[in-house]
Amino acid sequence: MDVVIVGLPLAGAIIAGLFGRTIGDRASQIVTCAFMLLAAGLSVAVFFDVAIGGNARTTELFTWINSGDFELSWALRVDTLTAVMLIVVNGVSSMVHVYSVGYMSHDKHRPRFFAYLSLFTFFMLMLVTADNFVQMFFGWEGVGLASYLLIGFWYEKPSACAAAIKAFLVNRVGDIGFALGIMGAFVLFGAVGFDQVFSAVESQKDAQFAFIGIEGHALTIICILLFVGAMGKSAQLGLHTWLPDAMEGPTPVSALIHAATMVTAGVFMLARLSPMFEYAPTALELVTYIGAGTAFFAATVGLTQTDIKRVIAYSTCSQLGYMFFALGVSAYGGAIFHLFTHAFFKALLFLGAGSVIHAMSNEQDMRNMGGIYKLIPATYGLMWIGSLALAGIWPFAGYFSKDLVLEAAYADHSAHGGFAFWLGIAAAFMTAFYSWRLLFMTFHGKPRASKEVMSHVHESPMVMMIPLIVLAVGAVFSGLLGYNYFVGDLRVEFWGEALFVLPENDTIEAAHHVPGWVPWLPFVVAVSGIGLAWLFYVAKPDLPQTFANAVRPLYLFSFNKWYFDELYDALFVRPAMALGRKLWKAGDGAIIDGFGPDGVAESTRNLAQRISALQTGYVYHYAFVMLIGVVGLVTWYFLTQAGV
Amino acid sequence: MISADLMAVLPELFLACAAIGLLMLGVFRGNSATQLVSTLSVVTLIVTFALIALPPRPETVAFGGLLTMDGFGDFMKLLVLIGSGVSIVMAQRYIQREDMNRFEFPVLMLFATLGMMAMISANDLISLYMGLELQSLSLYVVAAFRRDNLRSSEAGLKYFVLGALSSGMLLYGSSMIYGFTGTTNFDGIAQTFAASAGNDIPIGLIVGLVFLCAGLAFKVSAVPFHMWTPDVYEGAPTPVTAFFATAPKIAAMALFIRVLMEPFGGLIDQWQQIVFFVSAASMILGAFAAINQSNIKRLMAYSSIGHIGYALIGLASGTEQGISGIVIYLTIYVFMNLGTFACILCMRQKDRMVEGIDDLKGLSKTQPMMALALAIFMFSMAGIPPLAGFFGKLYIFLAAIEAQLYILAVLGVLTSVVGAFYYLRIIKLMYFDEPAESFDRPIGREMTAVLIITGVFTLLFFVAPGPVVDSAAAAAATLFPG
Amino acid sequence: MIVQALAFYLFAAVTVAAGVMVVSARNPVHSVLFLILAFFNAAGLFVLMGAEFLAMILVVVYVGAVAVLFLFVVMMLDINYAAMRQGFLQYLPVGALIGLVLVVELALVGFSWVASSPDAPASLAGVPIPPIDEVHNTKAIGQVVYTKFAYLFQMAGLVLLVAMVGAIVLTLRQREGVRRQSISAQVSRTREEAVEIKQVPTRSGV
Repeated sequence: MDVVIVGLPLAGAIIAGLFGRTIGDRASQIVTCAFMLLAAGLSVAVFFDVAIGGNARTTELFTWINSGDFELSWALRVDTLTAVMLIVVNGVSSMVHVYSVGYMSHDKHRPRFFAYLSLFTFFMLMLVTADNFVQMFFGWEGVGLASYLLIGFWYEKPSACAAAIKAFLVNRVGDIGFALGIMGAFVLFGAVGFDQVFSAVESQKDAQFAFIGIEGHALTIICILLFVGAMGKSAQLGLHTWLPDAMEGPTPVSALIHAATMVTAGVFMLARLSPMFEYAPTALELVTYIGAGTAFFAATVGLTQTDIKRVIAYSTCSQLGYMFFALGVSAYGGAIFHLFTHAFFKALLFLGAGSVIHAMSNEQDMRNMGGIYKLIPATYGLMWIGSLALAGIWPFAGYFSKDLVLEAAYADHSAHGGFAFWLGIAAAFMTAFYSWRLLFMTFHGKPRASKEVMSHVHESPMVMMIPLIVLAVGAVFSGLLGYNYFVGDLRVEFWGEALFVLPENDTIEAAHHVPGWVPWLPFVVAVSGIGLAWLFYVAKPDLPQTFANAVRPLYLFSFNKWYFDELYDALFVRPAMALGRKLWKAGDGAIIDGFGPDGVAESTRNLAQRISALQTGYVYHYAFVMLIGVVGLVTWYFLTQAGV
Repeated sequence: MISADLMAVLPELFLACAAIGLLMLGVFRGNSATQLVSTLSVVTLIVTFALIALPPRPETVAFGGLLTMDGFGDFMKLLVLIGSGVSIVMAQRYIQREDMNRFEFPVLMLFATLGMMAMISANDLISLYMGLELQSLSLYVVAAFRRDNLRSSEAGLKYFVLGALSSGMLLYGSSMIYGFTGTTNFDGIAQTFAASAGNDIPIGLIVGLVFLCAGLAFKVSAVPFHMWTPDVYEGAPTPVTAFFATAPKIAAMALFIRVLMEPFGGLIDQWQQIVFFVSAASMILGAFAAINQSNIKRLMAYSSIGHIGYALIGLASGTEQGISGIVIYLTIYVFMNLGTFACILCMRQKDRMVEGIDDLKGLSKTQPMMALALAIFMFSMAGIPPLAGFFGKLYIFLAAIEAQLYILAVLGVLTSVVGAFYYLRIIKLMYFDEPAESFDRPIGREMTAVLIITGVFTLLFFVAPGPVVDSAAAAAATLFPG
Repeated sequence: MIVQALAFYLFAAVTVAAGVMVVSARNPVHSVLFLILAFFNAAGLFVLMGAEFLAMILVVVYVGAVAVLFLFVVMMLDINYAAMRQGFLQYLPVGALIGLVLVVELALVGFSWVASSPDAPASLAGVPIPPIDEVHNTKAIGQVVYTKFAYLFQMAGLVLLVAMVGAIVLTLRQREGVRRQSISAQVSRTREEAVEIKQVPTRSGV
């Protein structure tokens, strides 16, 4: 069954990708959607079998590499962690597939789009079912590739191409860290299989690495390298710049890849490697700081953005920050719980935004929207559900997971835990504010769009609404239903061997015993954030402008995303370009090409001409060459074996 | 005893009988039955394949030591059968179109295949020669099969004359070996060396070995016995060229390996020098001479010379690892070559074959799938990871380094770089140049199937190299008892 | 013994001389005739070794069939042999040098064989089994060719079959417009298709 789940998206991708032209648009869509829905159904079955039934297992497919001591197999490791991810990936992916049938109905290249979507899903499944680092890396690179293809799907648009390349390159920085981490793990443990590595962690916990004279705690170094990989993929502070730009891709792609699945790969990886991180407290501390920083930073940027998708993108970035600091304080279950609920409500928000964009004739700027809640009431309602879940209002999903994450951070009783807690609370306030800013700007107030656009505003077709409704159900109930299993009383049996926490780090347990004001605080700030948004954008619509003028520097700082892109541009891009140009002109062109390739190529050509001239076409020349060869060899032996 | 012998050679026996039967069928039904004979030939090859692959085949020596059946031979035979079968499949449409629609064509291919199987199993200098001649004679004829075409006839004749010369050398060497050892049997020859261990090796024996190697090197078209290759590849009908580039190469290589490893295993210090020289020369020539070619079949000829050079590195190492490296290399080589020739066979404009490399210009725009397939094969031939060709080279170079043949390994890497030039040039033509005239479509269902199978094999070999690598290692192990 | 030795040297010398003449004769017909002479002397050498069967085969097949066929072919083809010989002298020095080197080396090999034969392994003695004075060469071949060497015999048969098929494929042409006798067609003709009866009215001609 595991193999079928992983194989179906691949089969769909192959069919739609290679034969899409032959079988037509409609058949491609039906095949990929049917396969995805089937895979999603099977994932639910696997979830009950593995997570609830406790049947964790590993299916070995076949040997991949067998070189000396280095042996590696393709294997599908399905434990509770994987089962949760299967639900998330296949669930959201199947909904996005169905949604795309409606959303992409005017596109010319539908089979290609569906092939990419399915291909992405396949790689994501390879990633989450990986049994060893190398297979995980395969999936990791694969989703990077699929993400590149999907962001650049509208390749006629220069901005989409640029965004795709940016995403690829920034991810590459993280990937180098990941690859180095894998190599480090192989050096330290002599294996890349998770089971071998995890069982050896305990014995290697004090090992040291010495490299160019610097000695360091081996596990910490490896874990930090691996975390750099996770930062790239999960858009954490520093390597986050690609995520907002990635919104150039079609909206279903944003929902699938840049909200629910690929960006959570980093979270998944850290949870999967919990047995290693537990023994590297310094690395965990770093994870906490980066995560909390991201949560706060992205929330501040989200306050001022005007593109509806970018707001949600920064919100995603911010929520990923929550997950990471949860990991940092050893609340792995909490992080995965938040990942799980977040997948539903963020996919819902993205697809809802897509529905709005669809309705507004591809308008993405919120300043040109407004006053449409009566025209598309269903979308409006669903967006409310998504926002309530995001802000963490009881009883929506976000309430349970986000509160727990914050409580765990508080319960860690450490400097970094406290840091994360207070930044998280601040971010929660801002989250609520920008979510309702989005709602109010988009749906309320006076219509700011042109008459023509307004006359076309319409509710999306059923094929787009049904996925939204399904996701909305998840956004409402997933927290309530999952709480006990993921982080509540049943969590020990639920997770089984999948997650590992040192007894002294059990912050989830501690999170249930925090002072009474702690669970209430996030709720209070969320409600006040909503209230403030109402005040700004409904009650007194001229207030935002006045306020922005009052604190102009701060506003600009946030509006320009803390000047990260400009900083990188000045720090890396420009110097690299300048250096590249210099090396190209002087070093490569003059020195290397002159003596190297050009010179060598020239002499190669000469030699080639001479050798070709040998081939005269006369049989007796050929025979003569053969004879010379024989005689030459015989003579050689007479000379070397002389005296025999 | 005879029945045991016959059981041991059941696949060969079946192939021989079926070939004769198909010949009869053709004679009685005339050329209108060509299609049928072709199809039945492929079926015959498939059955032969099954007879080798399916039942357990114990390692035996048949006909009083004339033939040996072992895992190495079986693996190579399977490769040969794949090469022959696919070549016949690809030839069907071609021979109809190009006015060479005669039933003898598939039958001769079957006889050639039978000869190759006999070569692979040869355990005696005489049976070696018989297999070689059966194969060569059939090949001479199919090379000249388009008898109204001057180039085809010329190719057949050149191949025949030079082949006769090489056979003469081989026989001369065999007679010298017989003179110095007193036996033609491989086991007997090996025993002679075992018995006279420590004594000096008579120079005459080495000279005989040189002549024998020259004859075999001709068959694998290694430098300096390669001169026929470009002319014959260019002149022969394209499906025949595809056949030449795959099956006979495998068979001759297998024979080369068996002769040097089994009877002359004790003389490795001597023959290693020959193989070393021949391998290095082949790699260099294959890389450099191909650069100036404008005809794609000629280019493939030089490419195959280069590939044989790489494969010979493994033989020069003389280790089990080296031999298994060759087996892997040849397996990959067969698939890459069949795929490439399938592409070449699809190069038709206005119902006429074209062979110029320039005709491929802009193929990616007119026929993207075929351009993609050809690009995969070219990248693979150039040895670019993660395609199959890279792994072939990798295993060979690893073996060379283990055997401390650093010069060959370095030379191999350097010539790969030069070789990459002309492979990449084709890709550049296809993808970055403006389209010339487009090729005829459709290319036919069997071509599509061949392209897909070989392309997928080449592209995805890295996903599961296990089966091929393991069976290659098992095959090589049978040459190293104990 | 001395007669045998004399005969051997005579046959051997004539064979080699004839071989040289085959290559160097100006007239191709002469070349073929020298080839026949070489075959005859080789047959003589076989007889000296007690291989009378091979000797007869050589005479019957090579001289009687192959060489005579060659002769006809050469006489019927109109080829300017002088033109083909152009360039012969051009390559002569290099060719001669290579040939000389080869000859010297092979001579050395021959000497080494003679020198090493006394202490060579027993199998090198080269005695036919069974010994020649017990079983005649013809009978000995007959004993093994269908038993021990059945495989080789069959393979030789296949080689010949392929040669035949090849010759037919490459040369046989179905010529258009040639009338052939088809006996079955003739025999199976019926009266109706062969004869037509016409009632010719009188006084009007056919």
